[in-house]
Amino acid sequence: MALTDTELARRTAGGKMKRKISEYFSYYLLLLPFVFFYGAFTLYPLVHGFIVSFYDWKILGEKQFIGLQNYIKIFHDSVFYSSMWHTILFVLISTPVIVVAGFLFACIVHQPLRGKTVYRLVFFVPIVLSVSVVASVWSAVLDSHTGMLNSIIKLFGSKGEILWLSHPTLAWLAVIVITLWWTVGFNMILYLAGLQEIPDELYEAAKMDGANAWKSLLYITIPALNRITVLITFLQIIASFKIFSQVYLVTQGGPAGATRTIIQYIYEEAFKKYSFGPASAMSYIFCFVLLIISMIQLRISKERE
Amino acid sequence: MKEKKLNTGRILLYVCATVITAVWLIPLLWVLLISFKPSGSGVISIETWFTPPFSHSNYIYVFNNAPILLWLWNSTFIAFITTILVLLICSMAAFAFSNGRFPGYSPMFWVILAGLMVPGEAFLVPLYILFRDLGMLDTYQALVLPHIAVPFGMILLKQFFDGLPKELYEAAKIDGCGIFRLLFVITLPLSRSALAALGIFTFLGSWKEFIWPFISITSAEKMTIPVGIPFFNSEYNEDVTIPMAANVIVSVPVIIVFLIFQKQIVKGISFSGIKG
Repeated sequence: MALTDTELARRTAGGKMKRKISEYFSYYLLLLPFVFFYGAFTLYPLVHGFIVSFYDWKILGEKQFIGLQNYIKIFHDSVFYSSMWHTILFVLISTPVIVVAGFLFACIVHQPLRGKTVYRLVFFVPIVLSVSVVASVWSAVLDSHTGMLNSIIKLFGSKGEILWLSHPTLAWLAVIVITLWWTVGFNMILYLAGLQEIPDELYEAAKMDGANAWKSLLYITIPALNRITVLITFLQIIASFKIFSQVYLVTQGGPAGATRTIIQYIYEEAFKKYSFGPASAMSYIFCFVLLIISMIQLRISKERE
Repeated sequence: MKEKKLNTGRILLYVCATVITAVWLIPLLWVLLISFKPSGSGVISIETWFTPPFSHSNYIYVFNNAPILLWLWNSTFIAFITTILVLLICSMAAFAFSNGRFPGYSPMFWVILAGLMVPGEAFLVPLYILFRDLGMLDTYQALVLPHIAVPFGMILLKQFFDGLPKELYEAAKIDGCGIFRLLFVITLPLSRSALAALGIFTFLGSWKEFIWPFISITSAEKMTIPVGIPFFNSEYNEDVTIPMAANVIVSVPVIIVFLIFQKQIVKGISFSGIKG
């Protein structure tokens, strides 16, 4: 039974169509779990939070639409401004410190030193500790009466006890040191990956031309790591903006709110005072700030390419 | 002349490395040391750190008064389940986006990509309301469900899948291999390095998560380590040595696992960090 040409074409086209539909179907099936969980636990809360930010929303569920009043209230709230300012201050100070330290640490362990694996391990190990352990350890270290740091300082002849966590500037210094100690390993690892990709020939050529170590650092290493520095800097800015747990657990935002950050304020509004409306509005403002930073990052990394 | 210069440079490097190592390690060693000082023995000066009495009474106290092994188990269990689900769900979606062309492809992809920029901290309130309405506050589900469809993981895997040679699929397709079999028989075994990297990153992230469990978990027997430790410590404000014993108990297993898998962990973090 020979099929005519048109018959054959029609049949294969029909088969193709069918195959295509069943292929779509399998792809949708593959996507289904991700789309479901993403929709339910990311998109829906995101939209719902936006709605809540226009309501006077109490813990027990009584709610009243109040338009922009939550936002207006926030813009007249001095604690919001101070928390935002603390956060920005922390970003401005911690970002260069932790990025540069990560770079220097990576440079140290990249050198052919004896025992460099040990150094690398030690610089990196705090990363795997959970924040509550880090906070508990450092609270003990910085304790004014029994702490390790003051005991060591006493050894050098100081009589008085330094109240590390009771003075705003010292408390911030402590927070920065703790964050550095805890997270610098992450930046170090990223920089180390970057350093390992720079071909040795570049350094050899520079040496032939009479460049010293300082010059090759300045003219080879740093430019070669340009792309990764942009990446690390923005990762650090975003991570620093989100600072909450180590501060909350070590200083509780004290002394007198001097180290309260924006996430802590959102947390307190939402889960201590249960005023969900203002907390949601603040979350959106916070989200908006981070979005702008991400946009800048996209822009810069696009330009570099 | 040059040789000498190099030497001073190297000595300087050694000095720096040693000093930083000391600064990084001393707090941890101190904690280990004073955790063996019996509670109430007064750790106030350097001499008291090194002079007896020493005992393991703090450890016994912690084991008797806090469900600390349960917290370790909870943390491990939740991190494990989260990791498995992330790898499964993200690789399925990544495969669809990497190989498929279907109606709705780009709007879906862009909505997920946009999720990369949204900080999880920004929707704690609606997430809390959602889980309260679902009646799932203070459950393991609350700790796992919000973290399994992560745009970061999906996009990381998609990029990796995009780099695999397409000819492999063509040959398998001609042999009549379905899409699911393609994914599980061909793609995933070839992507072990990417899966390991994402898996390690996810496990560590889940293990260390603080703020959401801190909000959603209230009963002691459901707590994870990051929430359990402050919960336990808050009751022992006066005495520092008992909380230090608790810190040692929960950190030693982690550090041992880290030492065993350090190569993979470091690789996983740099892979995820740079590609992400």
